[in-house]
Amino acid sequence: MKAARPTAGALSLRVVAVAFLGVMVALPLAAVVGSVLTGPGGVGTALHALLSRTARAALWLTVWTAVVVALVNAVMGTLTAWVLSRYHFVGKAILNAAIDLPFAIPTLVTGLMLVVLYGPQQVIGHLLAAHGLRLLFAPAGIILSLLFVTFPFVVRAVEPVLMDIDVDQEEAAATLGSSPFRTFVQVVLPALRPAVLTATLLTFTRALGEFGAVVVVAGNIPRRTLTAPVYVFGAIESGEPAAASAMSLVLVAVSAGLILAVDRYTRSRARAMGVRV
Amino acid sequence: MRGLARGLFASVVLLSASACGVGCRAAKAEDTGDTLIVGAYSAPREAFEEAVIPAFRAAWRRQTGRDIVVRASYLGSGAQARAIAQGFEADVAVLALDSDVDKLVKAALVAPDWRARTGGAGLMARSLVVIAVRSGNPKGIADWADLGRPGVEVLTPNPRTSGGAMWNLLAVYGSAAGDVKAKSAAVARVLDNVIVMDKAARESLVSFERGIGDAAITYEQEVHVARRAGRHYDYVVPPATAVIDVPMATVDRYADAHGRRAVAEAFVAFLRSRQGQALLGGFGFRPATGPIDLPGDARFPAAGHPFTAADFGGWKKIAPGLFAPDTGAITRVLDATREDREALR
Amino acid sequence: MKPGRALLGGAVVIYVGILLIAPIGAIAWSALRSGPAAFLRALAGSGGGFALLLSIGLAALAVVVNTVFGVVVAWVLTRDEFRGRGLLNAAVDMPFAISPVIVGFALILLFGPQGWFGGLVRALHAKIVFAVPGMALATIFVSLPFVIREVGLVLAESGHDQEEAAYTLGATPFGAFWRVTLPNIRWGLLYGVLLTTARCLGEFGAVLVVSGGLAQVTETGTLFVFRSLEDRRDLGAYAMAMALAGMSILLIAGMEILKRRRAGANPRQGGALRVA
Repeated sequence: MKAARPTAGALSLRVVAVAFLGVMVALPLAAVVGSVLTGPGGVGTALHALLSRTARAALWLTVWTAVVVALVNAVMGTLTAWVLSRYHFVGKAILNAAIDLPFAIPTLVTGLMLVVLYGPQQVIGHLLAAHGLRLLFAPAGIILSLLFVTFPFVVRAVEPVLMDIDVDQEEAAATLGSSPFRTFVQVVLPALRPAVLTATLLTFTRALGEFGAVVVVAGNIPRRTLTAPVYVFGAIESGEPAAASAMSLVLVAVSAGLILAVDRYTRSRARAMGVRV
Repeated sequence: MRGLARGLFASVVLLSASACGVGCRAAKAEDTGDTLIVGAYSAPREAFEEAVIPAFRAAWRRQTGRDIVVRASYLGSGAQARAIAQGFEADVAVLALDSDVDKLVKAALVAPDWRARTGGAGLMARSLVVIAVRSGNPKGIADWADLGRPGVEVLTPNPRTSGGAMWNLLAVYGSAAGDVKAKSAAVARVLDNVIVMDKAARESLVSFERGIGDAAITYEQEVHVARRAGRHYDYVVPPATAVIDVPMATVDRYADAHGRRAVAEAFVAFLRSRQGQALLGGFGFRPATGPIDLPGDARFPAAGHPFTAADFGGWKKIAPGLFAPDTGAITRVLDATREDREALR
Repeated sequence: MKPGRALLGGAVVIYVGILLIAPIGAIAWSALRSGPAAFLRALAGSGGGFALLLSIGLAALAVVVNTVFGVVVAWVLTRDEFRGRGLLNAAVDMPFAISPVIVGFALILLFGPQGWFGGLVRALHAKIVFAVPGMALATIFVSLPFVIREVGLVLAESGHDQEEAAYTLGATPFGAFWRVTLPNIRWGLLYGVLLTTARCLGEFGAVLVVSGGLAQVTETGTLFVFRSLEDRRDLGAYAMAMALAGMSILLIAGMEILKRRRAGANPRQGGALRVA
């Protein structure tokens, strides 16, 4: 529908769409950016807060745990999608349903569940403590809660691609003597790569900003188990808007940048395949 | 399918309408007088909800023949002060530190002479910083130095959001002997053993009750409340500790805007009355005035030799001094790494 | 089954079991082990009923707003072409990227007393932050992308031919939309609505920052869970957690069933649920 000039109707729809997104998305983002520039003390105070050791440690903890989670999800998510699409066994429906659970569970409840399951008064917690291992109130707990929350992304992104893949290609490779593993690596993986890549990046972005699940499980000790979103929360609660603004801006910038990159990539690939975007 | 879609749409519209209705009704109820909104920190929750507020409502009915709804919000003291300053329209504020009340003075919400207006130096009650330990005190904790021993896991809330946490750290700092460096080292040793920093004092103690940690630095008053809730464990009053002042004030700007000044001041007066103080005592608060030691009262152990915030110049000196961002002695310990803290020793 | 496959399948099942199913089992057991009567009492007591209603109400409002505007945005993104459309497209994904606490922070920056619109809010005697309207805005923001993305998928796949045919037959644009487009997108719309609802019921970080924590006034289900833990009412916390999770699980299960029906109706479109 490449009109020479848009109709009045199309124009008004465009205006509504832009106005809605402008108010609901652009305005809050602008407020965060603006607060860094115009907040009390200006950019200097914000920068100073960001460079504090607590802030830097929080950012580092957030980033490395998100990276770990993204990588684990890339692997386990792909494997799970493979099992879902290629295997048939009793109880597969339960597995399939379980994968969507993180969408249904409030993040706070996720953290709560982990405390209930692995708390020191429980069997497992006791066992772990006896061996000197700490799951809760340690980075391991942060990673566990993030893994829960981000699990469905890679699985659900890879699944449709796997189902679309021409099974004939795989069978052809098999008849030519390729082992299942080689088939997987040389025939299947390249086809999956775009989906896995974008879903992994989205997992990373999601993990970067997670609050509810982490705040209950992490322990929140500055420089040890304090993540960036919990740092922002603490800054808001203790009346340090400059620190909150600065960290928020960093998180938003990184996430937004990744989203834009993923978006560009998806659209260029779709264009290459001739699909209208 | 059409019918289903219509039905779904209708029910969604109905639900959101009812949600708006509920929200609007709740808001309206506040505006038709004889409501009181209290912004409190986390500790007085049970005392207010179970005893003080019902008694106040009964007293108000006797006095004026009218019913009154009292709604209270309980957050960490710093968080509550921020919320009130940012537009949470409480008529009365009960906080953990008078510097949090001073934040409201700075925001032109509370009159500068609030202490005089509240009476009794502006206090609702007092308590002590104590150490909660497991039943029987298996780790033999008797003093702050024991919290610094290797292998002892400690809980305390985060001072950025919890006024209670600031009292806790002041107690550790103030009770240590020696100069600033020695006192900082004492705080450092304890902080090294902290494994969880919750947002507020109450959360911290609840974490302790879940089996986390060996000791929790807390208010004596909080332990009493826990006992009322059936959680039984011991607490230790260190030989030197801090007396906690619990300030309260009418939030003049909002109370006047709502036309509720009389109610607000009545509530404050009620808390300071003999009945109010007795009710608070049942929940572990020590009286707002008079001696802190209560030898005749079996509920309260001996207080030792506690110091007060006034001994350090009051919170108006302590907050920008010891807790100054970046430069305060206690802040520096909080921000330091383990390695830095080793150096501090 | 070949041993390699069994190993792989087993590994995945164990991973999902430990990661997802065990924690849910643990909390379900904690919530229900005192029996259904205690469960209901804990859920309804101390303002739980109100909290649940508020969560549902906020979700309903967000569904209405995000559906109406979401369909418009999806339409514009897939049927229209203009400069800056890429930016619009990226804007839709932003709510996924922004941490909920930052959402709450942004609302305070906008509508708090020192905010950009603080003066306006005060002049109108309106209450946005620390009141339900602010929480509504936060809920709408975090659940914004779902309807847009799901409907957009369907619109992109189905093409414009049917509508154009309707136009040539004399249908008005709105008529064509109502009679041609809407039936086409109904499954995508439904998925989007269900995902939106689940997301709203689970919202925590943003409403924690923006609400005043007043029971019976600005306390949602998730905030009730948080407060119950502090009040030493563990059963209340677990019960509400199960209630919120249970509602969303039912919705998602309904979605799965619909997905299967849809796959039966149109095999090409089955299973393609874009999730992020």
